[in-house]
Amino acid sequence: MPGTTPAARALHGPVRAHAPDTIESREGARIAPPKGVEGWIGRYGAELRRHLTRMLSSEADVDDLLQEVWVTAIRRPPDTGPGSNVRAWLYRVATNAALDCLSKDRRRCCALDGRLTQLLPERTATPGDGLDGLSEAGRERVREKVALLPRKQREAVWLRWVEGQDYATIAERLDCSQASARANVYNGLKRLRSELFEIWRKENER
Amino acid sequence: MIGEAYVCNEDDVLAYLAGELECEDDLEMSVHLAECGECRDWAADFRALDRVIPACCKDEAIHWHSFASPFGTMYAAATGKGVARITWRELGEEGFVRELESSFPCRPVVRDPEALADVEREMTQYFRGERTEFDMEVDLSTLTEFERDVLAELTEAIKFGQVLPYSELARRIGKPKAARAVGNAVGANPVPIVVPCHRVVRLDGGLGGYGGGVEYKERLLEIEGRADLLRAS
Repeated sequence: MPGTTPAARALHGPVRAHAPDTIESREGARIAPPKGVEGWIGRYGAELRRHLTRMLSSEADVDDLLQEVWVTAIRRPPDTGPGSNVRAWLYRVATNAALDCLSKDRRRCCALDGRLTQLLPERTATPGDGLDGLSEAGRERVREKVALLPRKQREAVWLRWVEGQDYATIAERLDCSQASARANVYNGLKRLRSELFEIWRKENER
Repeated sequence: MIGEAYVCNEDDVLAYLAGELECEDDLEMSVHLAECGECRDWAADFRALDRVIPACCKDEAIHWHSFASPFGTMYAAATGKGVARITWRELGEEGFVRELESSFPCRPVVRDPEALADVEREMTQYFRGERTEFDMEVDLSTLTEFERDVLAELTEAIKFGQVLPYSELARRIGKPKAARAVGNAVGANPVPIVVPCHRVVRLDGGLGGYGGGVEYKERLLEIEGRADLLRAS
């Protein structure tokens, strides 16, 4: 019977979130959710809120991000065909939004315990430019770190992370197997993550 | 994927962020990220890199490509402003990339045939005799102002099939006594053929030198219908 386990309850409905009449987008526009999204809000809203609450400490952030998830669902709805999984999609959208929030969160900058994201400068007035207030010297150092990666890692990271190419294309360009292409992307990113920490530390000292 | 004995690792986090996990694994990793502080920190770091790397590097990359030509393998590189290097020296890919890395420190050097597609097309047309001037932009920003002035003037002044002595080029840029310096500037041309330094010759009718090898200067002048100069020299 539905509703006997937490997961089943979440899926089948005893924990039903109130489905609002309208969703407010980040720009302040009010949007009436279409029927499908309204159903998802009722079915998954509560568990997504719990998920976000576990990732973020601020209730206000949780509220904002949950709204963001529904706005995304309305504007760029997921595939609902056979084999698709709306729940997994919603979790991914929520998780990515929470990770972005964490990586930009100024409050976490205060605790210098060695994590890159805790040192990220504050969100800028122009969201989406990706620079997060980095100085030109900081940008230069980022470029330098990317430039100093071994050639295959640099090209693989570039093709996957900047140009969004698939591994088949990267493998062809680098004349290697897809597994090797993927390993080059991952190893390059892991190396950059540790090296760029230094850049943010210096930026934070400015 | 994430069971009791799961050991956290960055590769799984990266696979998740890149959207490479199967549906159920994807959901499990979402839930895991809420539970595991270490994986969550890795993921937030990688999301930060995802924003910062393209924003810092996108317009700063040096794209390169190699293609076949009658002179052998031709290597070309371009910045966002235009083509910045052309060579057919036998460097090999690694050698060419190393040269680019030292000429453009702090700028990511990446292979990109699409970014050089116009260069390859125009160059191929030139060698076939189907093109007498180039439409591509050039980036001479690694040169001195004097070198740029010399190369700009020779591109403007000496059209397909024409030649000009070094001394005349010096006169045209307003430095009639600087023929030797002009010669050096012509020799610094990083984009031969496109900037047609092969059209600068000696006043006495000799061909003068050529960075790519004087035999190539001869072949370029032949392509441009100036075999008469070869006989004269």
